[in-house]
Amino acid sequence: MSIEVRNLRKAFGNFVALDNVSLDVPGGELVALLGPSGSGKTTLLRIIAGLEPADQGVIRFHGEDATDQPVRERQVGFVFQHYALFRHMSVFENIAFGLRVRPRAVRPSNEEIKDTVMGLLRLVQLEALGQRRPSELSGGQRQRVALARALAVKPKVLLLDEPFGALDAKVRKELRRWLRRLHEEVHVTSVFVTHDQEEALEVSDRVVIMNEGRVEQSGTPEEVYEHPATPFVYGFLGDVNLFHGRIDRGRVKVGASELEAPEWAEARDQAGVAYVRTYDVELTPSSSGISSIEAVVRHVRAFGPVVRLELDRTEDGSSIEAHIARAQYDRLGLTKGQRVFVSPTSVRVFARPSDPGSARSA
Amino acid sequence: MAATAERKVVRWTLIGIALVFLALVLLLPLALVFSQAFAKGLPAYWEAIKEPDALSAAKLTLLVASIAVPANLVFGVAAAWCISKFEFWGKNVLITLIDLPFAVSPVISGMIFVLLFGAQGWFGGWLFEQDFKIIFAVPGIVLATTFVTAPFVARELIPLMQEQGSEEEEAAIVLGASGWQTFLRVTLPNIKWGLLYGLILCNARAMGEFGAVSVVSGHIRGETNTLPLHVEILYNEYAFAASFAVASVLTLLALVTLALKTLVEWQQRRAVAERVGPDSTPERIAA
Repeated sequence: MSIEVRNLRKAFGNFVALDNVSLDVPGGELVALLGPSGSGKTTLLRIIAGLEPADQGVIRFHGEDATDQPVRERQVGFVFQHYALFRHMSVFENIAFGLRVRPRAVRPSNEEIKDTVMGLLRLVQLEALGQRRPSELSGGQRQRVALARALAVKPKVLLLDEPFGALDAKVRKELRRWLRRLHEEVHVTSVFVTHDQEEALEVSDRVVIMNEGRVEQSGTPEEVYEHPATPFVYGFLGDVNLFHGRIDRGRVKVGASELEAPEWAEARDQAGVAYVRTYDVELTPSSSGISSIEAVVRHVRAFGPVVRLELDRTEDGSSIEAHIARAQYDRLGLTKGQRVFVSPTSVRVFARPSDPGSARSA
Repeated sequence: MAATAERKVVRWTLIGIALVFLALVLLLPLALVFSQAFAKGLPAYWEAIKEPDALSAAKLTLLVASIAVPANLVFGVAAAWCISKFEFWGKNVLITLIDLPFAVSPVISGMIFVLLFGAQGWFGGWLFEQDFKIIFAVPGIVLATTFVTAPFVARELIPLMQEQGSEEEEAAIVLGASGWQTFLRVTLPNIKWGLLYGLILCNARAMGEFGAVSVVSGHIRGETNTLPLHVEILYNEYAFAASFAVASVLTLLALVTLALKTLVEWQQRRAVAERVGPDSTPERIAA
């Protein structure tokens, strides 16, 4: 069951939560809506569910217009950020709820309900806890009950709002993998909202990155990570260094250094920002040409296979972060206060927002 | 330790003041009611209670409460529901209006109905033509009592329902429940103790209301006298023992209400403890 969102707009008073958002979720995929808080991702999810009306725009499930369909007829499964389990019901009754409220004609028998619920309890690995109250469960267990409850009604699409937001780091990681496996098992079209880029990149088939009510970019995790379409996406996915400078004839002048930017061959003295990922740098004890930037080591965090260095650029004192392999770090023998030259190995240049003709891709 | 030791004096002084105050203002009058009621012995007490006018007053009081309380149950739940689950223009005005019966004197509450439905009132002439009496009759007493007790249930439920939010209701609707199913299966179980508490308070006030009822009742013996009014009449006629006997019945009703209220409060606390309790012990999941 595919989801199509076309030109959605939603404002709360003066605040525009969604500004002309379009989105395609192919059937059976697991899609992540990724963005900082206030970017409109939860609003978009709630509008898809029908919990919130859109001001403008269309939503289609499998090609059929669902824009004005009431929530209870949309057949969506929704997992709330704080689970919203029925606190006075047992885990079993929570999961059975969607089946028990059906009109008599289509309501399964008690036996069938029991079978379905037991099957779901097995699926979420909580067989033994059916008679517990939600208050007697841990966060991760509640999360799985919420998921089982949503799946009980055989939804056409499954929507999850920050499904791991309220859990501690370790449980989060386990549950993440488990959700991925579960999705491969039940294969229902799923959309989940998250502000955690690692989560989005690791779990989903496709990532939709949102910012200020707009879709910045969508694509597979590899696409959006390797080829960010906008400065925002670049900054949001992974750690990145920014170098402000002037773009001129395929080069960016950053202080006394010059970085290659072949895609800007026609640019003439234009303000620009060079984005360099923290691991796309090479450090050398002496200058390796015009593209290397002089800096001083300020702080070293040398644990694990990757050594993280904080450097101060000599020219203007701005901070540069560099992640290098342990072996390279050992070879260089860097210590605090030492002079070093930073050569970006991969640069992505965007024009400054004030200048016309913003992003051109490499 | 030193800090708490020093405060010990303060603490016992405060407790002492509270206890003396309670004894003087609450316990002494309560004891007096019962001692006066039995001043002329048990037979006289019994006589005063089973006297027809007293019985009819008791019946009327129960009748009024049995109409006013359910009416305010419906009103209170509806008001609390719309205030806590929806955003709309004029919400604050509505919240203030709900408090109005608490803010104005009960006598004025009674006057309002006399001005509306009395012989000289806005609808007085029309009502006279229809030969339907509101003022100095039972409908007036019911109206005044309902008005005065309107805030109890709503006031109790609004903060409770606001705190609970509407996520559970949203979850129910997404799962296909109708509005009515959502209310019965999800909302009502979550608010039942708070609701019961509000109803008990509402009932206590409905049975004990004097001011507003006094204005609209007309004090017709055996017809429009409620228990509190009957107590006053007996007292004004210097039938002290009988007056206190009837008052003791009213007091007993109040004490029963109080006991029920305590029980509900205890249940409510237990429900909250159950909800919050084991939260703090997250288990590892077996993924």
